Amino acid sequence: MMRRGIVFALAFCLALPGLSLAANVKIGFINSITGPEAPIGENLTNGVTLAIEDLKKKGIDVQLLKEDDTGKPQISMSAMEKLAGQGVAGVVGPYTSACANAVAKLAEKYKVPLLVPAAAKEEITRQNLKYVYRLNAPADQYASSLIDAAMTMGKPKTIAFIYENTDFGTSTSKTAKEYVAKKGIQVVADESYSKGSPDYRSTLTKIKAKNPDLVFMVSYVADAILLMRQSREIGLQPQAFLGGGAGFTTVQFAKEKEISNNVFSTTQWTDDVNWPGAKDFFNRYKSKFGKEPTYHAACAYQAMLIMAETASKNGGDREKTKAGLKSGSWKGIMGETKFEDYEGFTNQNKHQMLVLQIQNGQFETVFPTKFASKKPVFPFPKWK
Amino acid sequence: MTVLLQSLISGILIGGVYALIGIGLTIIFGVMRVINFAHGDILMVGMYMTYVLFTSFGIDPFVSIVITIPLMFLFGAFLQKLFINRMQGALPQNQILLTIGLGLIMSNTMMLIYTSDYKILSTSYSSESFNLGGISISSPLAISFLITAAITILLYWFLLKTDTGQAIRATAQDREAAQLMGINVRWMSILAFGIGSALAGTAGALISPTYYIFPQIGGIFTLKAFVITVLGGMGSIIGATLGGVIIGIAESVSAVYISSGWKDVVVFVLFLLVLLFKPAGLMGKSRM
Repeated sequence: MMRRGIVFALAFCLALPGLSLAANVKIGFINSITGPEAPIGENLTNGVTLAIEDLKKKGIDVQLLKEDDTGKPQISMSAMEKLAGQGVAGVVGPYTSACANAVAKLAEKYKVPLLVPAAAKEEITRQNLKYVYRLNAPADQYASSLIDAAMTMGKPKTIAFIYENTDFGTSTSKTAKEYVAKKGIQVVADESYSKGSPDYRSTLTKIKAKNPDLVFMVSYVADAILLMRQSREIGLQPQAFLGGGAGFTTVQFAKEKEISNNVFSTTQWTDDVNWPGAKDFFNRYKSKFGKEPTYHAACAYQAMLIMAETASKNGGDREKTKAGLKSGSWKGIMGETKFEDYEGFTNQNKHQMLVLQIQNGQFETVFPTKFASKKPVFPFPKWK
Repeated sequence: MTVLLQSLISGILIGGVYALIGIGLTIIFGVMRVINFAHGDILMVGMYMTYVLFTSFGIDPFVSIVITIPLMFLFGAFLQKLFINRMQGALPQNQILLTIGLGLIMSNTMMLIYTSDYKILSTSYSSESFNLGGISISSPLAISFLITAAITILLYWFLLKTDTGQAIRATAQDREAAQLMGINVRWMSILAFGIGSALAGTAGALISPTYYIFPQIGGIFTLKAFVITVLGGMGSIIGATLGGVIIGIAESVSAVYISSGWKDVVVFVLFLLVLLFKPAGLMGKSRM
């Protein structure tokens, strides 16, 4: 009877190695695995999968507790409560700004270190929450890095804004408007639009009449292409087109060479930047998952590495992990990472945004100069 | 001045396509007294058809209407024969539910096949334009306007001069009387729904080179078609043509002089005003 029991126990151990071999450290991961954000969420999941592989090589066994928030803040919150009860050392995620912001307050309440990998809303790290850390640059950096780049290249005096009238569009352009006001650039047009309209020509004509030096656009994929097509049609000719939003950084947009060439956009990460391991990560990701990673994948990868390393160093203790995140610094595929308090932010990594320009259908890093792969084309060449 | 002219021209060009969508809806309503809430989704099917013809067979979107029109006609006739016909004379809310349901099936089927990603159809001339006295005119939009105008004229001729056209109009005016005169009203209904669908599909084909395609796009156009037909007077083809152009101009001019975020408000205020002073719509009385 005894022997049988041992055999059973052994079989059990073999079947569930995660349970028997006592995982080194328990980390929670909240992500939008299903729901409307799933296509991006997939990138985060894959990034984390690669991180777990690398951690294993370093001798850190991570017991990963995955939770799907379907992109909804309330589900995200219950996932956080569940994870806190399961004794995780820390949590990585969630993806969307709305979810991350909701979960941040809970992390503080349950005293669980939370590392947000890729949510842009500024507020998340602006509420003096001690347990909340963020790896990526907040939304205000998107606008300021683009405008800084434009000011390095030329002397723009006027700027026109055109953006989607959603939370994303209005908030991004709001921070941009505040920033240009500081820099002494005059806003000559401020146009919001409701997405899904087939015709933006009249709005663009109005902007053309003001003859702005810079045109700043915030749109998703399809509208980005439409706006640039119609800009070309009516001959809108600024010194630079700045794409402040999601639609301008997609491969689909870049492929429309005729209209996308020489448009500037900004991102958290690219594969051609000279941060250690960036190119390598890109190749590994592509061969394993058959797709090119977005910056979200790199953010999630690095966030998981940081969280798991810190937690395992501190034996899974939440308080010590929190202190470890605060004092540590890392160098990896996201460049240098250090969580600091500045300008009202708490535990915010001063991540360097990269300014990209589409050249011959490819995204090339053009700013900051030390990370640049190509020289920027400025001013915007005449439409053919 | 250039800005005003530019926005007027843009409005008229886009209004032409709106008119085509509106005419389709109004013919269906006129003949069958059924409000087709799947109209935008039928247009969406036309867009995907154009997309497939272009990407898989390399057929130019404007040429592909030669294939799209008959196929969409058959599709509409099939829908009418199999589903809508059974609801003839049923309670209006049931008819509305039926068409909404059909629309949902169409959009979700497309989502299963093509996923919910945006599709962009890029032809060599998608962002071409030519200059006319300082006003730039989008080439694909100008071509689609010409095709729209040709189709509309052809349709007028068909409805006014041919026997079948007159039979359709007779059915629209008084179904029972038409039946007594020996007109096969069931056949006329199938014909009307077929024509309506073909028009919606054509509109889809015509805007796909300058617009984008996704399965849920139908809703936007159903609403637009509805506003256009009610504005012009339910069942009136001239009304729908006029309504389409008015909506196009209103959108485009208000985007310039007020704000693009407010253009829908302007359109709906205009819509309410017309209904307030002329409840039957602009051409409400003279049906066809």
